[in-house]
Amino acid sequence: MTADSIQGMKASEAIAKLGEHRQRILQEIGKVIIGQREVVDDVITAFFAGGHCLITGVPGLAKTLLISSLGRAMDLKFRRVQFTPDLMPSDITGTEVLEEDRASGKRQLRFRPGPVFTNILLADEINRTPPKTQAALLEAMQEHQVTVSGTTYPLEEPFFVLATQNPVEQEGTYPLPALQQDRFMFSLYIDYLPRNQEVEVINATTGASVADIKEVISGAQLLEYQQLVRETPVAAPIIQYAVALVSASRPGKPTTPDFIKDYVSWGASIRGSHYLVLAGKARAVLAGRPHVSVQDIQAAAIPVLRNRIIANFHASSQGVDSVEIIRRLLKSVPMPKSGLS
Amino acid sequence: MSPSTVSVAASSVPIQEVLQRLKTARLGIVQELRKLIVGQDEAIDQLLTALFAGGHCMIQGPPGTAKTILVATLARVLNLEFKRIQFAPDLMPSDISGSEILEEDQTTGHRVVKFVKGPVFTNILMADEINRTPPKTQAALLEVMQEKQVTLGGQTTALPQPFYVLATQNSMEQEGTYTLPEAQQDRFMLSIVMSYLTEAQEAAVVAQSTSARKIELQRLLGAAELLAFTQAVRLVTLPEKLGKYVVDLVATSRPSVEGAPDFIKEYVSWGAGLRASQNIVLAAKSLAAQDGRMTVGANDIRKALVPVLRHRIGLSFRAEVDHVDVESIIAKLIAAVPVPSEMRN
Repeated sequence: MTADSIQGMKASEAIAKLGEHRQRILQEIGKVIIGQREVVDDVITAFFAGGHCLITGVPGLAKTLLISSLGRAMDLKFRRVQFTPDLMPSDITGTEVLEEDRASGKRQLRFRPGPVFTNILLADEINRTPPKTQAALLEAMQEHQVTVSGTTYPLEEPFFVLATQNPVEQEGTYPLPALQQDRFMFSLYIDYLPRNQEVEVINATTGASVADIKEVISGAQLLEYQQLVRETPVAAPIIQYAVALVSASRPGKPTTPDFIKDYVSWGASIRGSHYLVLAGKARAVLAGRPHVSVQDIQAAAIPVLRNRIIANFHASSQGVDSVEIIRRLLKSVPMPKSGLS
Repeated sequence: MSPSTVSVAASSVPIQEVLQRLKTARLGIVQELRKLIVGQDEAIDQLLTALFAGGHCMIQGPPGTAKTILVATLARVLNLEFKRIQFAPDLMPSDISGSEILEEDQTTGHRVVKFVKGPVFTNILMADEINRTPPKTQAALLEVMQEKQVTLGGQTTALPQPFYVLATQNSMEQEGTYTLPEAQQDRFMLSIVMSYLTEAQEAAVVAQSTSARKIELQRLLGAAELLAFTQAVRLVTLPEKLGKYVVDLVATSRPSVEGAPDFIKEYVSWGAGLRASQNIVLAAKSLAAQDGRMTVGANDIRKALVPVLRHRIGLSFRAEVDHVDVESIIAKLIAAVPVPSEMRN
């Protein structure tokens, strides 16, 4: 247990401590990342909630730098895998090799762990690889373990996957099926920086100084904080509100709003409500509050539901996307009275 | 270290002095290269620009345009280690980075796993016909390019410094090639195009290559001094207006951005990213430094644009139909983006 452990602390003290650590992590990240505040906040929220992220965005927007810097600030191991059309499941999970035991001289199969055995895995351009290899990663993400020839190997904890995909519709890409996207807590979009910030970036990156990221917390502490997030109480009306939002996104029920019937082919699953509440908890705790508000749930709605609500052809022909549908959902589902504070 | 000095062999030297030395060294390198290379002035300029900026290059051109000779000669003159890999459809990632082999210990008779370094452990790596190899192997090379280290079996081994990759792409044949995805092309600082020589130049090459004369090359620089020079390049200053101009120009190449010009929307399917702006500035700093100047000038930016942007702008199908090439798109971009007053002369 590290000196900074929050074990045995009162919840309010632990939350204050987390808030302090979050500030310091943001400071360290700010040394190398310019702008992209929303994405940085969402990724940190996912870290503390213990969920995985899918980021859609063009290359060259410092995704690798962001995630490897976060890894350094939390003293976590980091690996990056470039996904390609010929990547195999074993390139991710690992393989068995024949090896001789030095002591006995006997030959035996030994498991060589793949890059998935790390704390933070950047799965770059995940939609460039065929479905079987995508599935191998998603299985590891879900189970936090890998099974090779009948033996199961647990992954390291914490384990966090940040997958990226290229938004450019291209030949030879394999879009992630909706079911697989459901494994990611957040679906984030990252766009070009405003021009004044791009100028800042080129000034910072073509000069001589190299920023040094200091470790703020350890992996063990992150795990404690994840536990703290889960222990945060949520009032029943808030949970009901999250469930109502998700349930209203499903067409085919008598209570479904008309715009959902018109525009949505698939609504969000129960994982949607699960992650809305979990993200709400993380957001509340990161902001130093011991309870979850309606605003916490609403703030999580777009990153959690964006890829879980599948707009139909009619919607795209009208220029309506899932973000627009979520905005309308937030307007049409009544908020609980007790959570208005 | 104070911002205006560079540490060379543990002593601090004023930056102006380092830049003067860089300028002299460059002249020497060109003189040596000229003993073997005829023509290709632009390619040599661009190659040296990337060299002093510490960037990797993509080299394009038909066979027999002295691509390998240029790179190998440069390595000899710089006193750096040079290796060449011919990329093939059946090349594996371990053929580049290295592999683990079972070795028998002579004394004990036990077998142990030993890491055998691949050809990537060198200073200058020529990756010939990189688009002949499948994506996973390409990705392995690009990963070491970026990280400057190889991780195998949990063991991380650092590459020697400096480390440059000069990759060539076969542009003649399309069948059986794997085009590098845009994100991977983005890792190369410059795209250099080598062209056929004029008849007079070709005659000069043939006269030389069939003669009995042996050419002696002088060895200049060396790894430590080259590293100090790349450090000095980063200390060159960039006027604010030129930085804004670079960002404006690069941002205008993106068809998805509001207010993109019509020719971009029509002919470009993906525009240049942030790495383009970074590399234009770095290349311009390198050009200024090679001239012994402390400040980037408009001309440096102008010279950097084409080789940095050439491989970072993807053309649409429509562009192909209308026979519009990347160079003409870049020329139109330069015409479309307002130029700061410093650049107008």
